[in-house]
Amino acid sequence: MVSEHSASDQSAKHRHRQEGPGKHIVAFIFSIVLTLIAFAAVMSSEVNKTFTYIILIVMAVLQVIIQLAYWMHMKDRGHLMPIIFLFGGALIAFTCIVMALYWVWW
Amino acid sequence: MSGHAHLDNKLPHQPELATLEGRNKVLGFWLFLGGESVLFGTLFATFLALRDQIADGKPGTELFQLSTVALATFLLLTSSLTSVFATQALHRHNVKSMVNWLIVTVVLGLGFLGLEIYEFFEYVHEGHKFSTSAFSSSFYTLVGFHGAHVAFGVVWITILIAQIFKKGLTVVTAPKIYVAGIYWHFIDVVWVFIFTVVYLMGKVG
Repeated sequence: MVSEHSASDQSAKHRHRQEGPGKHIVAFIFSIVLTLIAFAAVMSSEVNKTFTYIILIVMAVLQVIIQLAYWMHMKDRGHLMPIIFLFGGALIAFTCIVMALYWVWW
Repeated sequence: MSGHAHLDNKLPHQPELATLEGRNKVLGFWLFLGGESVLFGTLFATFLALRDQIADGKPGTELFQLSTVALATFLLLTSSLTSVFATQALHRHNVKSMVNWLIVTVVLGLGFLGLEIYEFFEYVHEGHKFSTSAFSSSFYTLVGFHGAHVAFGVVWITILIAQIFKKGLTVVTAPKIYVAGIYWHFIDVVWVFIFTVVYLMGKVG
């Protein structure tokens, strides 16, 4: 994979030994499977409405966790600030959603 | 700056974090993504609040074509995978492989955009115009904003590819590639919410 074998490259390779395509392909397969389950739940008429909603939300949450952790490298070290920023934004976003729904439906 | 020592062919393992400027770029980009999640949060809030206000238009249960959405989802998820491959190639300093994966990512992004444009054309044809109802306005604003982000990402990554051909992979260009990858994944994560909340939940009713 790495053509030059200088000392720094070797140590870099050693430190980031797990960084192969493998875990990303696994994450990809998981994403696809979760997506298929979500679409299948909606497309099949046999699942009732409330249960479909629950399936959809669970699949979306799992999928987002997988994508943030693996593809956006959040499980890697040194990502505390990114996590704070993104979840800070998500918290405000969530508050906006709850506020808008309450405002409209109240 | 210490970064200049790396400019002569010997890149560190993570060239995007080799200079203070690169580290600041990555950190600043996460701050930007925090702002982006607020933006999309407000659009989602508007959509969720107004999605039953269909006036004279069709409801989502009749309108949405899940097969098109499924295909678009598959394209975007795959492009996220190819974009992570590009970042891995960046870490291996394999410029050729990196550029190839970026090109695949751009092509998949274009495919997604093509499907979305086709889909919007169909909806407008069926009488679901931007001004038809509060539902249609909030739908086009939310999904269109996401589509605009994809279009921006396609243009951005295309320009980055051109810059890589011109300047090569350095501690200056590496943070740009890395940050574009993070952006692309973020757009993918937003799409996960859109296909779940807008299309699937809209189809369930």
